Amino acid sequence: MLAVYRHDLHKLRGRSHLDATETLAGQRVNESVPHGADRDAALLSRPGGHPEQTVPAHNSPFRLSLGTGAQVIDAVGIDALGDAVQEFVTIQDAATAHRAWLNSAVAAAMNESLYYPYTSLKYHVLLTAALLDAYRDGAAFSDLWLALDDPEDGLTPHRTVLHTDRVSLRLTPNPGDRPAAPLGDTPARSFADVWTRLPARPAGIDPDGDRRWRILDAQLRRIRAWSTALQYLEDCLSAGTVETDTDRTPIDGGWSDAI
Amino acid sequence: MGGARCASQSHTYHFPETKRRGGVVTQLQQVLLQLETPYYGHPYFITGHALYSAIARRVSPAVKQALQVSTGVFVPGEYGVRPEACSDPGYAGKLGTALPAVETYSDLFLLRDPAHRWLLDSRPRDAHNVQAVQDHGGRQVVAPECWFGKPAHHRNARRSVQWYVHAYFHAGDEDGILPIAETVLNSLQLGGGRNYGFGAVSLADTNLVELDDLSYDRLQDADDVVLELCSPYVLSSECPDADDQDVPWWWDVPEQGLRRRRTRLVRGDEEYDLQVVDHGQVLGYAGNAPVVTAVNGVLGVGTHAKFGFGEFRLRPTEGDRVAERVAAEGES
Repeated sequence: MLAVYRHDLHKLRGRSHLDATETLAGQRVNESVPHGADRDAALLSRPGGHPEQTVPAHNSPFRLSLGTGAQVIDAVGIDALGDAVQEFVTIQDAATAHRAWLNSAVAAAMNESLYYPYTSLKYHVLLTAALLDAYRDGAAFSDLWLALDDPEDGLTPHRTVLHTDRVSLRLTPNPGDRPAAPLGDTPARSFADVWTRLPARPAGIDPDGDRRWRILDAQLRRIRAWSTALQYLEDCLSAGTVETDTDRTPIDGGWSDAI
Repeated sequence: MGGARCASQSHTYHFPETKRRGGVVTQLQQVLLQLETPYYGHPYFITGHALYSAIARRVSPAVKQALQVSTGVFVPGEYGVRPEACSDPGYAGKLGTALPAVETYSDLFLLRDPAHRWLLDSRPRDAHNVQAVQDHGGRQVVAPECWFGKPAHHRNARRSVQWYVHAYFHAGDEDGILPIAETVLNSLQLGGGRNYGFGAVSLADTNLVELDDLSYDRLQDADDVVLELCSPYVLSSECPDADDQDVPWWWDVPEQGLRRRRTRLVRGDEEYDLQVVDHGQVLGYAGNAPVVTAVNGVLGVGTHAKFGFGEFRLRPTEGDRVAERVAAEGES
C-alpha cells in the first residue's frame, strides 16, 4: 500500500509522469498502481479518452479553488512543495502515509491533471488508495458504497477518503449500519448522484440547522468530479462556511510559472 | 408537437388555445428567467411559493386561485450537449440560455437536474455549475453571473457565465389561465432583500407544452423504471388545511430508508414547519401505470403541490442518469 501514496509524487513536484524520476531520496516512487485502481480513481474525477484543456488560461499543475477561483498555491507557498515531497517519501508505514495525505494542505494545492485544474491531487491519491485497498480485499468497484462515519470514531486506514471534525467519508463494500449510498456499476464522475442518494446528511453539517450547510449541500449536488467535490467540502469545512467570492471574479486564470 | 416555441428575442408570444382531455388540462407553460441581481433565498432552488407569490401579486384572483407553480431550478447559461434520451441529441450550443423544444417526456427535465449533466466536458463544467456565493453584510447570496479568466491573447480578457432559473406552471382543470403574460413575468423579484434590489429576474424565454402530445415511448418500452424525486415530498405540514401523508405505496423505498428533512413554508407573516422527503433521491417504482404516474409527477403529488412540492420523474433503469456508466458498460 505504500506505493500508492507515492505513485503521484511527481505531480507534487510539478512534473508529468513521463518526466518523473523512479527514485526519490533512495525510495521507489511513481510506480504504477495495481488492479487498475489509479485508472478507476481518475474516471471518478475526469472524463475518459483524450483529455482537453478545460481552462486554457491555466495550463498549470496548481489547483484552482472552486469557491474563490484563486490558485491555492499562493496561500500555501511554493517552498512547502519540496518539504511535503520529502515528508511523503520518508514515511515507511502505509497507515502513516494515509494519515499524512488526509491531513496534507500542500497536496491540496495541486491538481490531478493540468487539463482539469479544479481537480485535487490530494483526493485523487486518497480515492486511489481506498479503491486499491478494497480491490486487494476482493471487492469489485460495483460492490462499493460511500459511507458516512462518525468523525469521533476515528478513521479507517486507507478506506477513509475525507476526515475532518465534522465529516468523515469512507469507501467500503460493507457499510453495516452506517448511512451509505452505492457508487454504481462503473467508475464515473458521479459525486453529485451518490451524494443526493445518501439516506442522511453528516450530523456535523446538518442542513436543517444552518443555512451555511444548506448552501454547501446545494453546491455539492452540482459537482460531478469526486476529487473536486471532496476538496470543495474540505475547503468549506476549514473556512467554517461556504467560501465566498469577495471581488466578484471567482475564477481568474492566471498562469504562474513558479515551478 | 411540443407546443408553441417562442423566440426570446422578439418577446412576441403566440400561444395556442388551452387544451383539455377528459376535463383535465394537460398544458404546461415553461419559463426561463434570467437572474439580474444577486439572489438571497432558499439555497437549493427558488421555491414554488416564492415564484407563486411574486406572480400572484400581479394577476386576477381567478388566476391566483388556479395557478400551480413548480420550483425554480438554477441553470448556468453555458454550452452543452443534449443527452441521448432527448428528442434532438448532440451539441446544442448555449443550452442554458433558452428553453429546449419539448417533444419527449425526457425533454421536460433537461434543465431540472442541478447536476446539469449536459454541460460540456471540454470546459470546466463543475466550475460553471457551482454558484458564486457572495457575502453581503453577513448574508450569503448567489451572484447573477460568474466571471472567468481567458488566455491573455484573447481580445476580451474575461467572460462571464450568466445564471437562469427554469420553472413551469399549470392550472389544474381551469380554463383560460395560461399563459401568464410576458408583462407579468418580465420584472419579478424573488426571495429576500427585495427592498435592497435582490432577486430581480427578467423573462428570457417561455413556451407552452401539451403533455398529451409528448412521446413517452422510452417509459412504455422500459422493462423497469426508477423514480427520481425532483422536489421535496411533503409528509406533514403545520399549515391549517394540510393533511399528513404517508410515503405512497407505489414507491419502492431503498433498504437504507429515505432522507427526511425539515423545511418551512412562509405565507405572508406566518411560517409553517414541513417534514419532507428530501429531493434528489432515487427510489424503485412499484406501480404498474408508468405513463399516468409520469404525468402526475410533472404536475406534482401530495400536499402543497400547488407550490411545486412532490415533483418527480420516472427513468428507465437501463438509462442511468450518469451517462458514462451506461457507455462504460456498452464497451465491456
